[in-house]
Amino acid sequence: MHSASTVTLMPVCEIRNLTVNYGRFVALKDFSVDIPEGCVGLLGPNGAGKTTLLKTIMGFLTPAAGSATVVGKDVVRDSLEIRQIVGLMPEQDCHIPGLSAVSFVSFAGELAGMPPAQALRRSHEVLEYCGLGEARYRSVETYSTGMKQRIKLAQALVHGPKLLLLDEPTNGLDPAGREQMLDLIKSVSHGKGINVIVSSHLLPDIERVCDQVIVVAGGTLRSSGPMKDLKKIQGRPVDVELREQNNEFIEVLRKKGFEVISAATYRCRLQAPGTPEELCHQIIQAATETGAQVRGFQMAERSLEEAFMEVIQ
Amino acid sequence: MSPANPIADLTYRNYDGPLESGYRWWPVAKMTMRMAIKKKSFWWLGIFSGWWYFVLSIVFYVWDVLAANASPNTPAPNFFKTLIWKDQFLAAFSESQLFLLLIALLIGVGAIANDNKTNALLIYFSKPCTKADYLIGKWVGIFLCLLGVVAAPTILFFMYCALSYRQYGILSDDPWLILKLFLVFPIAPAFHASVALGISSLFDQGRLAGAVYAGLYFIGLIFTKAIEGIRFANGGSQPFADTAFYFSIDGLQIGLAKDVLHTSGSNIFGGGRGMLPPPSAPHFLPFAMVYLVICAASLLLAYSRIRAVEVIGS
Repeated sequence: MHSASTVTLMPVCEIRNLTVNYGRFVALKDFSVDIPEGCVGLLGPNGAGKTTLLKTIMGFLTPAAGSATVVGKDVVRDSLEIRQIVGLMPEQDCHIPGLSAVSFVSFAGELAGMPPAQALRRSHEVLEYCGLGEARYRSVETYSTGMKQRIKLAQALVHGPKLLLLDEPTNGLDPAGREQMLDLIKSVSHGKGINVIVSSHLLPDIERVCDQVIVVAGGTLRSSGPMKDLKKIQGRPVDVELREQNNEFIEVLRKKGFEVISAATYRCRLQAPGTPEELCHQIIQAATETGAQVRGFQMAERSLEEAFMEVIQ
Repeated sequence: MSPANPIADLTYRNYDGPLESGYRWWPVAKMTMRMAIKKKSFWWLGIFSGWWYFVLSIVFYVWDVLAANASPNTPAPNFFKTLIWKDQFLAAFSESQLFLLLIALLIGVGAIANDNKTNALLIYFSKPCTKADYLIGKWVGIFLCLLGVVAAPTILFFMYCALSYRQYGILSDDPWLILKLFLVFPIAPAFHASVALGISSLFDQGRLAGAVYAGLYFIGLIFTKAIEGIRFANGGSQPFADTAFYFSIDGLQIGLAKDVLHTSGSNIFGGGRGMLPPPSAPHFLPFAMVYLVICAASLLLAYSRIRAVEVIGS
């Protein structure tokens, strides 16, 4: 399991030894994690327990053991208070039959406790924000898949939640729709004072919008922490990008004590003891000596996919 | 309008207004009523449900005109003098039963089933709305719509008669009639709202739930018609047949209405129903108990069935 972040964030949810069963099937087993503020990705393969965790946070499921709190409120005892400060965008299609978008979102606001006039005003705002302003008077049943995803987000946002739970928000979207949805999530989760938990099995989606990640598999916690910690490789290697292949440059660095982990045509991954500044100095020196043109230099990271496969195995 | 320069304000602003923590059933009830009154067929059925009052109004008008234009020995005054006013309201209530069922099918049986179909319960229960709020809201919404359909024509007809035919005893024959009618009003709406929700909770398609409720209604109706046939064949009142006459959805409601109005009913045109007198009013207490048990059981069934997510028992 990865170490905690160097920057300590206040936990939005504190989950301690949580066990949730569906009959005899254990969906979450002795699950403990602190979910920090900001945009957190809940990552895991299908059937890992991500949706179960969200349902437990909403108070839909009663834990068999353990406890969970959301902003200090217990999910079993204070579930109604939690639902007033949390917005849920469910995975599956859901709407109230026969309603236009503005009526639907306004009704969701009233259910959350907003006065009717404010709910109506606010529903216009969030529908504009979610890109449904032009289609707000259309019946939700006539919406495309992308629009249905957006309206689910709108109804989750209408009462100004402190925490937003998004369950597979890009499900069924075409590439353009997916991009727009991810842009929306990124927008809403940064600088708006809303904490967001995005549950997905799509690694690029999580990588694109989340700062923190929680990896769940088989109902257990596999990893949690900042995205960059998850992707970090042991031993602090560096990636060097050259304009063109230069074997002499590689040889010089070997002589300087660098271990060459991989060397492709114009990109190589190197590792050596020392601070990043010292490594940088030595690489530039080697480039000067050999006439290699260094185009890029950065601390090496695994892809999220590599990191994910490692932690779930 | 270009995306870079939209007319509409596309920024996100946090909501910092009030969030009340009171009951959530009222928005649910309002929405249920709003959905009902949007349907044109609701209005048509509502209007047609008062057709017996329309017939009575014409009959009364014609008799009154005849009475005014005729000599004192014409039968017109006799007609009004022999009229039992509360029986006319009972007859209108009986005649409206089929329309009330159709309205219940239109606005009631799909109330939960359609929500199941579209996963709408996730929306309700992801907000601070309890199962009780949801169920009460749906019940009140259906109840109030049906109450309006039952009460509006009755009150209008009562006012029309009180203003036009007061001299024939509508106010003096039974001074408590209007209060009794107010007690009769909720009988059908409460029953249909409860049973429709109970059946609706069993299905995830409104049409299927509607077919089941209509099936139950018509099976009961056929049974009571058969009982009526037995009564007719035996030439009169029999204790079992009289009681079994009320073993149907509308029979139960008509029986209770008879108890509340303290009448067994009669026909405005004298004979009717194969010249047999209508069955006598059933015993109030057991019938009221049956009525309440059916309503409560239906609501309990609905309460146990509605949930935000599927939960598998251990």
